[in-house]
Amino acid sequence: MLSFALNAAFVMVGIAMLLGSWRVLVGPSLTDRVLALDTLYINSIALIVLFGIYLGTSMYFEAALLIALIGFVSTVAVAKYLLRGDIIE
Amino acid sequence: MSVLFAIVLLPLIAALLPRLVQSMGRSTVAIVTALPVLLALLLLLGTAPSVLVDGELLQAAVPWLPQAGLMLAFRLDGLAWLFALLILGIGLLVIVYGHYYLEKSDSGGRFFSLLLLFMAAMLGVVCSDNLLLLVVFWELTSISSFLLIGYWSGQAAARKGARMALTLTGAGGLALLAGVILIGQTVGSYDLGTVLASGDLIRSHALYPLMLVLVLLGVFTKSAQFPFHFWLPHAMSAPTPVSAYLHSATMVKAGVFLLARFYPALAGTDLWFVLVSSIGLVTLLLGAWMALFRHDLKGLLAYSTISHLGLITLLFGLSTRLAAVAAVFHVINHATFKASLFMAAGIIDHETGTRDIRKLGGLRRYLPHTMALATVASMAMAGVPLLNGFLSKEMFFAEAADTPLYGSLNWLVPTLATIAGMLSVAYSLRFVHDVFFGPVPAALVAHAPHEPRRLMRVPVEVLVLLCLAVGVFPAVVVGPLLAAAATATLGGELPEYSLAIWHGLNVPFLMSLLALTGGVAIYVWRAPLFALQRRWPRPHAPAIFEQAVQALVAVAGRFVRFIDNGALQRYVSWLMLPVALIMLAAMASRPDWLGEHALTPVDGLSILATIVAVLAALATVVLRRQRLVALLMISVVGLIVSLAFLRLSAPDLALTQLSVEVVTVLLLMLAMYFLPSRGVIESTWWDRSRDLFLSLSIGVGVGLLALFAMTHPGATISTFFIDNSIPGGGGANVVNVILVDFRGFDTLGEITVLAIAAAGIYALLENLGLCLPIYDPEGRPWAKDRSPLVLQMISRAVLPIALLVAMYILVRGHNMPGGGFIAGLITAVALVLQYVASGVHWVHARVPHNYHPLVAFGVLLAGLTGLASLLLGYPFLTSTFEYIYWPIVGKFELASAMLFDLGVYITVVGATLLILARLGKLSVVEQEEGN
Amino acid sequence: MISHLIMAPVLLPLFAGLLILLEVRQRLWLRRATGLIATALLLPIAFLLWQQAAAGDITVYRLGNWQPPFGIVLVLDQLSAMMLLITALLALPVYLHACRGDDQPGANFHSLFQFQLLGINGAFLTGDLFNLFVFFEVLLIASYALLMHGQGPQRAKAGLHYVILNLAGSSLFLFGLGLLYAATGTLNMADVGRVICAGELVSPLLLQVSGALLLVVFALKAALLPLSFWLPGAYSAASAPVAALFAIMTKVGLYAIWRMWPLLYGLQDSPLHGMVSPWLWGLALATIAFAALGVLSAQRLAVLASWLVLVSVGTLMAALTASTPAAWAAGFYYMIHSTFAAAALFLLVGLISAHRGVLADQIEEGSGLSPLLGLLFVVLAVMLVGLPPLSGFIGKLVLLQAVPEAAFWIVLLLASLLLLIAFSRAGSTVFWRHQAGGKPATLPLAAAAPLTFLLLLCVAMVVLAAPMMNVAASTAEQLANAQGYIDAVLGAAEVMP
Repeated sequence: MLSFALNAAFVMVGIAMLLGSWRVLVGPSLTDRVLALDTLYINSIALIVLFGIYLGTSMYFEAALLIALIGFVSTVAVAKYLLRGDIIE
Repeated sequence: MSVLFAIVLLPLIAALLPRLVQSMGRSTVAIVTALPVLLALLLLLGTAPSVLVDGELLQAAVPWLPQAGLMLAFRLDGLAWLFALLILGIGLLVIVYGHYYLEKSDSGGRFFSLLLLFMAAMLGVVCSDNLLLLVVFWELTSISSFLLIGYWSGQAAARKGARMALTLTGAGGLALLAGVILIGQTVGSYDLGTVLASGDLIRSHALYPLMLVLVLLGVFTKSAQFPFHFWLPHAMSAPTPVSAYLHSATMVKAGVFLLARFYPALAGTDLWFVLVSSIGLVTLLLGAWMALFRHDLKGLLAYSTISHLGLITLLFGLSTRLAAVAAVFHVINHATFKASLFMAAGIIDHETGTRDIRKLGGLRRYLPHTMALATVASMAMAGVPLLNGFLSKEMFFAEAADTPLYGSLNWLVPTLATIAGMLSVAYSLRFVHDVFFGPVPAALVAHAPHEPRRLMRVPVEVLVLLCLAVGVFPAVVVGPLLAAAATATLGGELPEYSLAIWHGLNVPFLMSLLALTGGVAIYVWRAPLFALQRRWPRPHAPAIFEQAVQALVAVAGRFVRFIDNGALQRYVSWLMLPVALIMLAAMASRPDWLGEHALTPVDGLSILATIVAVLAALATVVLRRQRLVALLMISVVGLIVSLAFLRLSAPDLALTQLSVEVVTVLLLMLAMYFLPSRGVIESTWWDRSRDLFLSLSIGVGVGLLALFAMTHPGATISTFFIDNSIPGGGGANVVNVILVDFRGFDTLGEITVLAIAAAGIYALLENLGLCLPIYDPEGRPWAKDRSPLVLQMISRAVLPIALLVAMYILVRGHNMPGGGFIAGLITAVALVLQYVASGVHWVHARVPHNYHPLVAFGVLLAGLTGLASLLLGYPFLTSTFEYIYWPIVGKFELASAMLFDLGVYITVVGATLLILARLGKLSVVEQEEGN
Repeated sequence: MISHLIMAPVLLPLFAGLLILLEVRQRLWLRRATGLIATALLLPIAFLLWQQAAAGDITVYRLGNWQPPFGIVLVLDQLSAMMLLITALLALPVYLHACRGDDQPGANFHSLFQFQLLGINGAFLTGDLFNLFVFFEVLLIASYALLMHGQGPQRAKAGLHYVILNLAGSSLFLFGLGLLYAATGTLNMADVGRVICAGELVSPLLLQVSGALLLVVFALKAALLPLSFWLPGAYSAASAPVAALFAIMTKVGLYAIWRMWPLLYGLQDSPLHGMVSPWLWGLALATIAFAALGVLSAQRLAVLASWLVLVSVGTLMAALTASTPAAWAAGFYYMIHSTFAAAALFLLVGLISAHRGVLADQIEEGSGLSPLLGLLFVVLAVMLVGLPPLSGFIGKLVLLQAVPEAAFWIVLLLASLLLLIAFSRAGSTVFWRHQAGGKPATLPLAAAAPLTFLLLLCVAMVVLAAPMMNVAASTAEQLANAQGYIDAVLGAAEVMP
C-alpha cells in the first residue's frame, strides 16, 4: 500500500516538476517564472521527503529543511529585485 | 702574476673615481683619471724586458665560473703587450687632450669614468687568456662605447649614432659568443693557449665554417668592415677625444686584434682566405673612395679608418706569414697617425667651431703649429717615405703583389691595392690642403682662430714624433716590439723580413710611387669625381637604420597585436583549444569507455530531472542576454544538481550546493543591478563556430572521460579515509573528517581564500562610484516601498529558526551531514535576509557590522587550533578527541577538529556578509546622494 | 622533537595577514610594521631552511600527523628551499618599496601582500597536488586583489582578463586532478610517481589526459605562449611593487612543471614520457620569439618589462624541456637572475613613472631624469639583455652551453639582439631625449635602495657564480632523482613526541 502511494506520489511530484520547469522556461512574464521556480523548490522538498520515506532514512530531511529556507530567501530576493532593483539598500 | 691583474683592473677600479671627485674641480678629475693609467702603463713597461726581450708569456688566472670554462685569466704575450701599450699610451694622451677639449659645461666626471671603463674593457679584450672572458670584455667595449658615443645625449645624431654602433657591435658580439662556445666545445677548453694549439682540430671540424663565420661576424662588425662599416662614420658624433681613442687605436682595432689572436686557430683555410681577404679588399677600396668625398673632417678620417682597417683585414686574409707581420705593423702605424689626426681635427673644430672642409681654408695663418703636425701625420697616412705609414704600406704592396691565391685574377689585388693607395694619398692631401691652405673663408676671418693651449697640442706632438721616429729608424724604434707581437700572432717562427726604408727599386716601391703620383693627380682633378659622386645616391645610414628599426618595431607591433588582440574571448579560446585537442586525442584513441563497474540502474524520475536540467542549462545559454531569466534558469540547474547529489547518496554535497546556490544568486542579483539588463550581440559567425567546436569537443570529452573514470575503478586512498574516520578522526561523517582532519590543511587554505576574497572585494569596492538605473528593465519606475512590512515581519521570524538550523548543522557535522561551511552559509543567508527585508540601516543598528575582524578571527581560530598541537610536540593540525559524559546530555564527543570547524563557520559567516554587505552598501551611498 | 621550521614560511605570512586584518583601526604604521617584521623574518627562516636542504636530505612534514599519501605533506628539498629563499629575498625589498607610498590608495594592501606570500610559499612547499590547487587559489585571489589595488579602468580590464582566465584554469585544474585521482588513486606527488613506477595505473589514457590537462594549467600560470596573453596587460597595469612581486608568480607555474617532471612527465615508465616535450619545446621557443617582438613593440616601460618576463618564461621552459641536469642547473641560475632583475626593472619603472608625472612610463620624450635612475637603468638593461659582465650574461652562457640545440641558440641570440635594440631605443628616448632646461628632480637614495638591493643580489650572483652553479647543479641532481624523492616522502615516519 505504502509503496503504491509512494510511487503515485513520485509520479505526481514528477509531473508537477515538469510543469513547473515548463513555466520557468516559457514565462511569459518574469513573475510567472519566479513563482514557477518557487513551486519547483516546494516540489523538491516533497521529492526529498518522499525519497526519505522510500529509503527509510531521515538523513535527507535536513536538505528539505534547507531548501525551504533558501527557496524562501531566493524568492524574496528576486521579488525585491523586481520591485526595487537593489536588493540590499 | 699580480702585475697582470693590476694592469687590467687599475683602470676598471679607477673608473669610479672621476665621477666621485667631480665636485672637486676639473683638474682633479683629470689627474685622478690619468694617474692610474700612468701607473698601469709603467707596470706594463716594467714587463717589457721579460715579454719583449726574453719572449716570456706572462699568465695569471683566478677561477670565476670554472664549471662553464669561464676563468678570470689574463696573458701578456707580444701581441697583447703591443695592444696594451697602444691602449694605455694613447689612452693617456687622450686623457690629457680630453681635459683641454671638454667644455666647462660638459660633465668631466662622467666622461672620464666612461673612458676608463672603456679602457679597462679594451685591456681585458687584449689580455684575456680565456675565450669567454674575452667575450665578456668584448661586449663591455660595446656598452661603454655606446655610452661614450652618446655622451652628448642632447644631440639626436649622437643618440642615433650610439644606438647604431651598439646594435651592430652588439649583434656581432652575440655571434662571437656563439662562435666562441662552439670553438670551446670543440676543443674542450676555453683556455686560449689550448685553443690556439688546437688549430688543426678546429679546422677539420664539421662546424668549422660556422665557427669561422660567427667569429668573423664579431670581427667585421667591430672593425667596421663592409657591409657593417656604416656605423663608424656616424659614431663621429662622439666628442673628438673619444673618436681619437675609440676609432683609431682601440675599439675598431679590437676586431683586427681578434683576427690576429685567432690567426693560429682559424686561419689557413680557403674559406678564411676568401672571406677575410675579399671583405678586406672591398672595405679598403670603399673606405678610401668614400673618404675622398667627405666634407666633415672627422667623417673623412672615419672612412679612412675603415679603409685602413680593410687593409689590415686584407693582410690577415692573405694568409702568408709575412702578411700577418705587415698587418701587425700597420696596426701600430695606423694607431699613431690616425689618433694624432683625430686630435688635430678636434683642435680645428675646437678653434674654428666647424669641421666642414668647405667652410675651412688657409688655417696655416692661424694654426701654424697644428698645421705642421697635421701635415706630417697626413703624410704618414698617405704613405710618404720617411714616415711610418710608408713602411707598412710598402710591406702591404709587396704582399699584394705576389699573392698567388686568386689564380687568374692575381693581377686584381695589386691593382686595386694601388688604386686604394692613390685614393688614400688624395684624401690625405685634401685634408691638409683644403684646411690649411688656400683662401680664408670670410666667416673664419671674423672668428679669428688661434692655437690651442700648449698642453692640448702635446699629445699630438708625441704621436707625430712617433710617426717620424718609426719612419726613420724602424728597426730601432719598433723592431723588437713588432717581432714580439708578430711572433705571438703567428704562434711560431717569424718569417724573414727587414725593416728598412730602402729596399731597392722593386715592385712595391713602384706601386708606392704610382700611388703618390696618382693620388696627387686625383686630388688635382677631383672636380669631375665629385660631380660623379654627387650623382650617386648617397644613402644616409642613420636614417636608413632608423627607418629599419622603426619598421621592425612597427611590424613587431602589428604582429603582436594581430596575435594578441586584447580580447578576452580569444584568450579563453586559446586556453580551451589545447583542452579540446586533448579531449579529441583521447576520443581518437577509442578506449573502452564502459569499464567493468556496472552502471547504476535509472528510474523515470531521474531521467525526467536530467532532462529538465539539460533543458534549463540550454535555456541559460540561449537566454543569457536576458540576465534575470538566465539567472532563474541556472537556479533550476542548481536545484536539480543538488537533488542529484541526494539521489546519489551525497547529502553533504547537496547541502553545500544548496547553500552556495543561494549566496551565488544573491551575489549575481546585486551585481546585475549595475549592469544593463540585456547584453549586446558582439560575436561573429566565426566566433560562434569556434566556441561551438570548443564547447562540443570539451563537453563530450569530459562526459566520456568521467564515464570512463567511474566505470574503471582502481585502488584509491579513499579506503584509508573510510577505515580511519572513526578510530583516527573521531567522526562518523567521513566527508567532514576529511575536511577538518585528514585534509584540514586544505580547508585552512580554502577559508583563507575566502578571507582574502572578502578582504580583496572590500578593497576593490572601496570608493567605487557606479551609475544606478532609475527605471527597471521594462522602463517603469522602481516601487516606492523599500521594506514592505509583511516581508520584514516574516524575515525576522525566520532568523532565529535559521540560526537554530545552522547551529544544529554545525554541531552534528562531525558525525552527520553538515559542518562549519554549510552552517556558516545558512547563518549568513539568514542575516542577509534581514538586509534584504529591512535594509542596511536597520541591520547595522542592531548587529555589529565590521566583518573584517570577524573573518580574520575565524581563520585565526582554525589556525590556532592547528598550532595547539605543536605545543604537545605533534605536527601542525594534529587532532585529538575525547568522549565525555555530560549530565543530562549523555555521552558527548569533544574533538579539536570541532574547534577548527567553528573557525570555518565564523570565517564563512564573516566573509559572506562582508562581501554582500559591501556590495549592498555601494548603493546606499549612491542612492542617498541621488535622493 | 620534530622541527616545525618548515611550517614557518606558511604560518608566518598567514598569521601576519590575519593580524593585520584584525587591526580594526587601520593604523598605517602598525600595518606596515607588522608586515615588515613578518616579511623580514621570512628571510632568516628561508635561509635556515635552505641550509637544511643543502645538506642533501629531504625533509617531510606530515600535517595532522597523517601518513602520506593519505595526509598532506610539506616537502623541503633543495628546489623548494631555493624557491623559498628567492621569494623571501624578493619580498623584502618589494615590500619596502611599497611602504614608500604604493600601499596607500586602497585598503588591505598589507594583509593581501602577506596572503600572496602565503600562497607562493605554500605552493613551493607542498607535496600534494590538491594542496597545490589550494595554494594556487590563495595565490590567484590574493594576486587578483593586489593587481586591482588602487583601481583604475586599465587595471579593471586587465584584472578581469587575469581572473577569468585563471578561474577557468582552476576548473581545468580540478578536473585534471579528478582524472589523475581516477588514474592513480592518489594525489600525493610522490605517490603518483610511485604508482606509475610500480605499474599500478588504472588506465594510461586517464593519466595522459590528466597529465596533459594539468600541464595546460601550469603553462597558463607560467604564461607559456598561447596561454600568456593575460600577462602583459596584467603586469603592466599593476602598481610597481605588485608587478615586481609578480616576477615570482610565473615561476610558480614553472616550478609545478619542474616538480612534476621527474615524477610524471619525464618519468621513464610514464605513459606521458616523451609526449609533452616536443610541444613544450616548440612553444618555449615560440614564447621567446614572440615575447622578444613584444618587448620591441612596447610603447611603455612597464609593458616592455612584462614582455621581458615572458622572454624569461620561454627560456626557462626550454631549459626545463631539455631535461638534463646540466640544463636544469643552468635554468635555475637563470631563474634566480630573471626573477630579481625583472622585479628590479618593475620597481625602477615605478620610480621613473613617479618622476615623470602624467607621461608616466611612456617611451616618449620627457623631462630630464636623475642620473642615478639612468645608471640603474643601464645596469638593469645590461643585465636583462644578457650582456656581460652581469648575471644575465652568465645565465645565457650556461644555458647556451647546456642546451646545445641550434634552434635554441638562434632564437635566444636573436631575441637578445631584439632586446638590445629595444632597450637602447627605450633608454635613449626616456633618458637622453628631453626638453632643454630644468634640472632633473633628484631621487632620494632611500627610494632607490630596495631596487639597488635587488641589483646587488644579481651582482652577487656574478661574483659567486661558481658556488651558485654548484648549488644549482646539486639542486638539479636531487630533483632528477625521482626515486629518492618518492622514498623520502612515502617513508616519512609517524611523529611520536
